[in-house]
Amino acid sequence: MSFLLDNREIELPAGRRLNAIEAARWAGVEIPHYCWHPALSVVGSCRMCLIEVGFRDVRTGKITMQRRLAPACATTVVDHMVLVTQSEKVARARAMVEEQLLLRHPIDCPICDKAGECVLQDYHFQYGQKERRADPRPFSSRCRDLGDVTLFVDRCVMCSRCVRMTAEISGTRELLVAGRGTHEEIDVVPGFPLNNKLSGNVVDLCPVGALADKDFLYKQRVWFMNRHAGVCTGCATGCSTWVEENQDRVYRIKPRENPALNRWWICNDGRYDYPHVHDPKRLTQLQGAGTLDALNEQLRGAGRLAGVVSPFVTVEEAYLLCRLLRDRDPDALLALGPVPVVGDDERFPSGFLISAEKCPNRRGVEAVLAHFAGRVASFDELLARLDADAIDGAWVSGGYKQAWITDATARRFERLKLLVVQDLFPSPLSEVADWVLPGAAFAERDGSYVNRFDRLQQVCWAIRPPLGVRPEGSVLWGLAGRSGLYNAEAVREELAREILYFSAAMGLVPDVGVDLRGNLLAEHGTSENSVVS
Amino acid sequence: MSTQLDAALRSQIESLFPRYPTRQAVVLPALHLVHERLGWTPIEAIVELAELLGLAPSQVQDTLSFYGFFKQDRPQGRYRVWVCRSIACAPCGGEELLEHLCKRLGIRPGETTADGRVTLEFAECLGACDQAPALLVNDTLHGNMTREKLERLMETWR
Amino acid sequence: MSYERVLLANVEKPNSHTLAVYEAGGGYRALRRALKELSPADLVAMVKASGLRGRGGAGFPTGQKWLFLPKDFSGPIYLCVNADESEPGTFVNRVQMELDPHQVLEGVLLSCYATRAGTAYIYLRYEYGLCWRRMQAALDECRAAGYLGQNILGSRFSVNVHLHRGAAAYVCGEETGLIESLEGKRAWPRIKPPFPAVEGLFRKPTVVNNVETLCCVKHIVDRGVEWFRSMGTPPDPALPHDHGSFGPKLFGLSGHVARPGCYEAPLGITVRELIDRLGGGVRDGRKAKAAVLGGLSTGVISESEFDTPLNFTAPGRVGCLGLGTGCVTVFDETYSMVDFLHNSCRFFAHESCGQCTPCREGARWALEILDRIRAGRGRPSDLDLLQEIGDNLGIAPGTTICGLADGAAWPIKTTLRKFREEFQRAVSGRWPVAGETDPSSIFSTPGH
Repeated sequence: MSFLLDNREIELPAGRRLNAIEAARWAGVEIPHYCWHPALSVVGSCRMCLIEVGFRDVRTGKITMQRRLAPACATTVVDHMVLVTQSEKVARARAMVEEQLLLRHPIDCPICDKAGECVLQDYHFQYGQKERRADPRPFSSRCRDLGDVTLFVDRCVMCSRCVRMTAEISGTRELLVAGRGTHEEIDVVPGFPLNNKLSGNVVDLCPVGALADKDFLYKQRVWFMNRHAGVCTGCATGCSTWVEENQDRVYRIKPRENPALNRWWICNDGRYDYPHVHDPKRLTQLQGAGTLDALNEQLRGAGRLAGVVSPFVTVEEAYLLCRLLRDRDPDALLALGPVPVVGDDERFPSGFLISAEKCPNRRGVEAVLAHFAGRVASFDELLARLDADAIDGAWVSGGYKQAWITDATARRFERLKLLVVQDLFPSPLSEVADWVLPGAAFAERDGSYVNRFDRLQQVCWAIRPPLGVRPEGSVLWGLAGRSGLYNAEAVREELAREILYFSAAMGLVPDVGVDLRGNLLAEHGTSENSVVS
Repeated sequence: MSTQLDAALRSQIESLFPRYPTRQAVVLPALHLVHERLGWTPIEAIVELAELLGLAPSQVQDTLSFYGFFKQDRPQGRYRVWVCRSIACAPCGGEELLEHLCKRLGIRPGETTADGRVTLEFAECLGACDQAPALLVNDTLHGNMTREKLERLMETWR
Repeated sequence: MSYERVLLANVEKPNSHTLAVYEAGGGYRALRRALKELSPADLVAMVKASGLRGRGGAGFPTGQKWLFLPKDFSGPIYLCVNADESEPGTFVNRVQMELDPHQVLEGVLLSCYATRAGTAYIYLRYEYGLCWRRMQAALDECRAAGYLGQNILGSRFSVNVHLHRGAAAYVCGEETGLIESLEGKRAWPRIKPPFPAVEGLFRKPTVVNNVETLCCVKHIVDRGVEWFRSMGTPPDPALPHDHGSFGPKLFGLSGHVARPGCYEAPLGITVRELIDRLGGGVRDGRKAKAAVLGGLSTGVISESEFDTPLNFTAPGRVGCLGLGTGCVTVFDETYSMVDFLHNSCRFFAHESCGQCTPCREGARWALEILDRIRAGRGRPSDLDLLQEIGDNLGIAPGTTICGLADGAAWPIKTTLRKFREEFQRAVSGRWPVAGETDPSSIFSTPGH
């Protein structure tokens, strides 16, 4: 199938049903739009995506253009179609829409949270007129509390994306359009506020500064922040995220589009799961008899060893830890740390899934443990072995964001000759440890996670850890006597070579991650690894 | 616990169900019934209506707010008066008629007299252009209005 | 000169709205005949052959619209009767439903038979209270007499007809706005295609027809295709897509005329004939200045254009959107066209559904400019600005989903072109008013 885009012949793979925005994007041309969003129904109302559409006669090659402009979002591209996105006529239409959207829009960009990432600003810069012909007027920034988010009523351009999101994606239908014509406003029914676990996404969908994230509001100008590709560690779904920081402080987390996983969304649990990173109660001081070299020495002479590998550490860290312990004691017991489970899985009408399992890497850690020990020992089994005096020294990795171990359980570790605890927060266990190694938070780690659908995603650190904290990988790298800085990618390559399960993670891991079941498909049938069907 | 929609009103609304293949289509006729009974369509009634129709409250509210007829600020007057000011009535004295009525009632369009008797509104074309200027009282048309006719009509608004 | 009254044959009879009077005048004869002698396909063919075009405004050929329905569709098909007559200046459907509701119902029943629609919804604007009561009573009479319900007149034809009341929103007269409203949603018109014939009410094939159009169907069955085609204007050979303008039409006449009212005449009579012969000329011996040609949306003509025939093609030649509803509103020499355009923009700004940016914002902007002009603070540049807003508004330039915006645009375009001097007077010499600065200068670049 082929079509003509601004006099360029574009080939589309047969059978792909794309609208003109998508088809143009495929060819590298951006058509501006407000109301259209790939995840939502097409309403064609903002009229920003107007283009010229025509057809080319296959035999004569003659092009006949339609007299009227057409919305690209509602134009399905078919064979021999002709799209013009760069004409004077299109430019005038875009300028008109821009001019009209600014008629009643408060130009309060200096105090608007969206400034710097506002589509209205960007489009006006690119497609707007040089002068304002309408009378300027005083403006207010009327605020309305919609529940989970704040609405700046007058900034709204009525794209209705947020309303469609609650109708079609979360299925909760809190938002509505109230009124008619220029009196239209986004609203909720009194007593029925916007309150669902996907509600934060309306802020991302909003092309202007109308819907504001209460958590982020007035905290930071967006142009001061850097964003880093991350993976949400809030549950076993492992959504792709952007971690946005300025000077080693995380200000917000946003979804990172991943068609194979979370598409455009993340849940509020994950979105607001960062304050613990900057919690002053975090462990930041190495406690123990001397330096890490001393620890290494102690490990060598500790006798029968055991390791607890937390489902919060990366695959690489799990691998390095297991390697280390097995080097020191070839029969070391390797157990999976406690797996936090809260409630049941929550699935939304769009297919979006919040997992009950509230950790990012159980699958990855299990695969590593199974590789070293042939099986995955449970935490309870380790406790039983402790009680039976079958262990002399243990290394417990934590990384838990909440309290995870009771006083009673911690006391069972007291009998050990050597207890190393590597964790984010002080716990009853760190109280009884010989060595306490402050661990990294998710935004400070390098490495990869494997979600519940066997998708491996790789992350790089977004911020530097607080003074005194060395990420687990770095500590283990040093203890293993490896030279230079911790190199998570080198460890992943090692893993991928050594462990069949990880073989698909060889080389460059794409932004969307890699399906580790890819090479096992023939054995296991089709893969069902998307949380959004 | 229902407070706004009593059993009779509910069964009146339910009797409309067979007319339409979806419950949502009942929204507009049901809102008319609610308005007829209560004199307005307060939020509490909307929430109950939504429940009766198996819809989210937002769906009913979204629809309601689109139409000029339904009001939620206060019960409307027993006499809702719409004065036409459209292209046929305006040149024939429609605007003056509206202004006169504003003065006589001491309210502006969109307002209700303090005694709750009359709500005054301007109307877009009432479809009575052959009888301009025209006004509508509840749903009864009064055409070829003059001040004298208006005075006589106002006497009936008790 | 007078014309035979067919559509208005009953209106002057006492109790014209009752079944007895309607039947005495030959009512439901066409329905009986059709059920006995004609197949639905015959009926569609007749309507197609008659050249009947929609009377609601767009003038789309009715038979063709019916033929767009999928063949042999097994699910339900709906007929929506557009009785949301809200076009400013228009009232003929009201006259029909108030005074001859059974004529409307017979047209509805015949059209259901032709299109195989099992359910018809009559979407009636709220303001038509008497119509509501009369149509309701007519439906009850019909049901009792066996014209409505299961196995009508002993045939295998069954149909339900329901009245559905609007709630004061002009855009419900747009066919997909009407459908959305009937579905219980805000009346935001849909993107077309899909057209209602393919995917309409409740996502099923749907025909939306105007009240007067359906009445014409009744008379086509009753009096034949030839009778219908004996009136009106044949297709213009110069226009390849002209379907002609056949049949009788109701013309509403209002504004500054001696005898406003609803008149029946063949399509193609001139505006002047309608005003002078049927309407008794301009009121109070004054001279006419302008007229709205077929409902506000079609725009205005000046007195010099009054010889324009009221058919589907001629209005376009004088810059109007079309025949529209065929309802003429006359303005005499004393009336200000600035006031008229202000009134028009006020209406469309109030009634814009708010979906498309150019209509939602453009109609209001035009109103604000006119507010300013009327307040004596107009600027010469306002006229070009208004013209530009008008020229870029609607489905004609492609900037909106529905034709409401075109209705907003045409009065702006036609009034400004035809009465520019009046507007120039309104904006000249009176600005800037002492003590005022031009606020727009803050943003405008000198010499730009």
